[in-house]
Amino acid sequence: MAGILIYSEKSKLALELLTAARLIAKGTGLNIKILCINSDKQAEEMVAQGAETYHIKEQNLNLADTAAVASALQQAAGKLDASIVILSSNRRGKELSGRLAQKLDAGCLSDVTSLQVKDGKVQCARNALGGATIATQQIETDMQVIALAPRSFEPAGLQDSGSLKEMAIEIESSLIKVLESRSKAGDAADIEAADILVVVGQGMEQGDMVLAESIARALGGEIACSKPVATDKKWLPEDRIVGLSGKKCKPQLAIILGISGQVQFNVGIRDANTIIAINNDENAYILQMADYAMVADLKEVLPELNKALGY
Amino acid sequence: MNIVVAMKQVPDLQQVRIKNREPVIEGVPFTLGIIDKNALEAGVQLKEAAGSNLIVVSAGNEEVEETIKEALAAGADEAYLVLDDKLDGMESSLTASLLAATIQKIDDVGLVLFGEGSGDNYSGQVGSRVAEILGLPQVGYVSKIELDGTVARITRSLEDCEELLEVQLPVVVTVMGGINEPRIPSVSQILKAGRKPKEILDLDDLDIEIAEDKKISTLSNLAPETDRKRVAVKSVTELITVLQAEGFVGR
Amino acid sequence: MEFTLTKEQALIQKMARDYAEQNIAPIAEQIEKENQVPDEILKGLAELDLFGMAMPEAYGGADAGYESYVLAMEQIARVSSGPAVAISAHSLGLSAISSFGTEEQKQKYMPKSCRGEYITSFAFTEPGTGSDPKQITSTAVREGDHYIINGTKRFITNANYPGPIVTFVKDSESGRPTAFIIDKFCEGYSISEPWEKVGWHGGVLCDVYLQNVKIPVENVLGELGNGYPVLQYGIAFGKIGMNSVALGTTLAAFEESVKYAKEKTHRGEPIAKFQAIQLKIADIAMKYEVSRWMAYRLGSLANKPKSPGDFAKEAALSKVVIAENAVAAARIAMDIHGSYGLMADYKVARIYRDAIMGPQVEGVIDMQKLIVAGAILA
Ligand SMILES: Cc1cc2nc3c(=O)[nH]c(=O)nc-3n(C[C@H](O)[C@H](O)[C@H](O)COP(=O)(O)OP(=O)(O)OC[C@H]3O[C@@H](n4cnc5c(N)ncnc54)[C@H](O)[C@@H]3O)c2cc1C
Ligand SMILES: Cc1cc2nc3c(=O)[nH]c(=O)nc-3n(C[C@H](O)[C@H](O)[C@H](O)COP(=O)(O)OP(=O)(O)OC[C@H]3O[C@@H](n4cnc5c(N)ncnc54)[C@H](O)[C@@H]3O)c2cc1C
Repeated sequence: MAGILIYSEKSKLALELLTAARLIAKGTGLNIKILCINSDKQAEEMVAQGAETYHIKEQNLNLADTAAVASALQQAAGKLDASIVILSSNRRGKELSGRLAQKLDAGCLSDVTSLQVKDGKVQCARNALGGATIATQQIETDMQVIALAPRSFEPAGLQDSGSLKEMAIEIESSLIKVLESRSKAGDAADIEAADILVVVGQGMEQGDMVLAESIARALGGEIACSKPVATDKKWLPEDRIVGLSGKKCKPQLAIILGISGQVQFNVGIRDANTIIAINNDENAYILQMADYAMVADLKEVLPELNKALGY
Repeated sequence: MNIVVAMKQVPDLQQVRIKNREPVIEGVPFTLGIIDKNALEAGVQLKEAAGSNLIVVSAGNEEVEETIKEALAAGADEAYLVLDDKLDGMESSLTASLLAATIQKIDDVGLVLFGEGSGDNYSGQVGSRVAEILGLPQVGYVSKIELDGTVARITRSLEDCEELLEVQLPVVVTVMGGINEPRIPSVSQILKAGRKPKEILDLDDLDIEIAEDKKISTLSNLAPETDRKRVAVKSVTELITVLQAEGFVGR
Repeated sequence: MEFTLTKEQALIQKMARDYAEQNIAPIAEQIEKENQVPDEILKGLAELDLFGMAMPEAYGGADAGYESYVLAMEQIARVSSGPAVAISAHSLGLSAISSFGTEEQKQKYMPKSCRGEYITSFAFTEPGTGSDPKQITSTAVREGDHYIINGTKRFITNANYPGPIVTFVKDSESGRPTAFIIDKFCEGYSISEPWEKVGWHGGVLCDVYLQNVKIPVENVLGELGNGYPVLQYGIAFGKIGMNSVALGTTLAAFEESVKYAKEKTHRGEPIAKFQAIQLKIADIAMKYEVSRWMAYRLGSLANKPKSPGDFAKEAALSKVVIAENAVAAARIAMDIHGSYGLMADYKVARIYRDAIMGPQVEGVIDMQKLIVAGAILA
């Protein structure tokens, strides 16, 4: 019977895919298989979540070589008779999705933020027109490749009946050599996972960043930012960017400081449960997106707020 | 060596308005994808350093012939264009076939550059699909490129790490938006753009037919509804009260 | 008759707009306060070829035509008048050299001016002379193969930058106004502190003192004793730039008004919902539309003027309409903003101060009307 094949090099993302796959399986009756590459640890974790897990152990398979990984997935999809391949839409996953779709002659949707099954078809929602709209689309080809935006689904919970098999595939020699891999400066804080975010924009002054950080700490949250704060000003690492080219976050609370509210930013925060925005421009669009809007100068508010929160 | 940059014609997003949750695209002028301009700038910088030739390729409706002048002004030496009004709104897989077939008509291609995502759809598939069709290695999300003879040293920027790779040319690369600051072309460059060589191809030249069946169908495309409370908060004291009421402090 | 931009023109417009938004807008307030355009902006504009846009390629220009020049200048002035005024005055002097200069003069001054290494001036006004060239009192006295020039020139734009200054003085032989090219900051050239003007900050205006300035005879521009055509033609060409500046101001007034009308609320509704405001917006829009096509048309005529007289009339006619429209549009924009518009925090205050400059400069309004009437009734 045809099935769903899921793969991500990151265990946490793979578990999110598993949740989505179970949703699809429920609507279509397809069964679910997980692929792991060169990671005993991930393979064990997947088995523990009750997944039918296949492990490719092939030290010459280079994750940095998208063509090689796509070929591995193509072979696995063939051997396992999968008609839907679900990947994560993190950078590696997104790059992979197009290549794999081409190999499989499949339609492909990336950055999918939610899905539902209707009449046996998987309907996917994703941002379009730079985030101004949300498009609902479905793939019409026999083979389908769907890449899910990280954090769009809860990670799957534990289940019994997991199994593990090794899978052998053929690989060609790689034209890509990894000279060096260095983790990005900064802290691996995960703004997508945070319940509370304090998000700062270009309306901040660098000297006040400590205040914003201290407010985030007082609330038990993380600090995040608009794109220019990381890419132009470099006050925070890029993994703290919220938005279209950053992360799509769904915190319980987002406190947004000195951000104007361009669509490319907004798509990353519009799913927050509660939004508080502070901006000194009463016309800033972000204030219209807020549950609580405060027109004020951050230079005055931040010290006061920080003090009120007990620092 | 030829460096190829693929650029997509998109509606100028800043001029797209939302009316009754529907985007109004009609009458909005075309421009080139914003990250595609970073890809072009990367190409121009490499070309200036290596003395190679920079070719821009694009597929789309007849307007592309005019729109592409922007790329020729900003530093591309020539253009290969696939023009057909039927190509309006085509899906990524068709774009990829057309671009790949076009690139195959160009000799001695060392590097093919894309933006990490198009200005409008941002699906980021086309580069990967083209690489597959051409059977070339690819590197996505690139923040730095150095050419050195028959290899390129390329930095791929992932969420949590940077990979420094050495890749055999030719290679397909998709660049990140932040890789550079695209230059603004001068008046003379704009005026000379129209005189640069252009190779216009149609679907017959490429031996590609547009499939009847779409790979993707779009069921709806609407602006999201917002239902925020939009309560005005006047003071920090009020703000603290809100935080308490919502259960974020003093839990 | 085709009222559309070519792709090249649209790109030139966009180029100027992008540059202005990215590089000038962030420092527009600084220009306003310091009354000085930073050197890197002038350099940036020069790199985009804006200092020689309409000049022939053979002399280092971009040969883009005057209508493209208007399109670009409008976009610069929309963001800040100062740099646009500097380029306008520069182009005025440069076009005089281009139209009347000898081959040697063109070779000597034009390429550097087109590259922005020289910023040109055009000096006619004197403390005792406004619209009337007969009252010029500065003199040039021939001494062998040189002239010795003395006098004071008032309100000279760009007098503070190195480059040629086309200067009108009475020469001792003919006793009539003659145009000379003087190198600014040569011996005997000095300037006053910049004037503090109501608007157009950054378009630097000084008085020029010429004390025994010695220049070779080959620096006569045009014919000795025949400075009028240089003056008239030059000033007529200068109006292309002046029109662009006023047009950019009108566009800014329009945009600020629309923005404010949508943002400002009254009884919970944006004021744009009120018909009284809608009518005002329509008025500005109509004025902008009239101005823009007149400005573009004058640019297009300048590429191939029928005759100096005809062009002078067209220039005078468009200058009156466009300069007055800018003032009217700024006034309406002010009304839409209410009291807030009077605060320096709002851009419309600057727009207003910039708009009222136009009618008084490079030929006051009444003089322009006389030129038009003269051409009609002649
Ligand atoms: C393809 C593409 C992808 C993009 N992706 C992203 C993305 O993922 N994430 C992202 O953020 N952006 C993204 N952008 C950029 C986006 O368009 C905006 O430029 C960016 O979000 C603006 O950041 P900002 O709000 O911090 O800055 P600004 O727009 O400059 O806003 C600053 C705000 O601070 C306010 N302010 C200033 N001083 C004070 C003060 N003293 N007190 C209170 N308020 C003050 C101002 O009123 C203003 O509203 C993308 C753009 C493109 C083209
Ligand atoms: C910002 C700025 C930049 C300038 N740049 C330059 C420059 O680069 N080079 C330069 O040479 N000058 C420059 N000027 C000077 C400017 O061109 C003159 O001031 C202008 O031509 C008007 O002269 P005026 O002020 O003496 O007015 P006047 O000629 O004295 O006019 C005053 C009023 O008298 C009336 N009037 C005058 N003559 C007549 C007439 N014949 N018939 C009917 N009515 C008449 C009109 O109503 C007019 O409004 C600049 C001025 C400013 C403010």
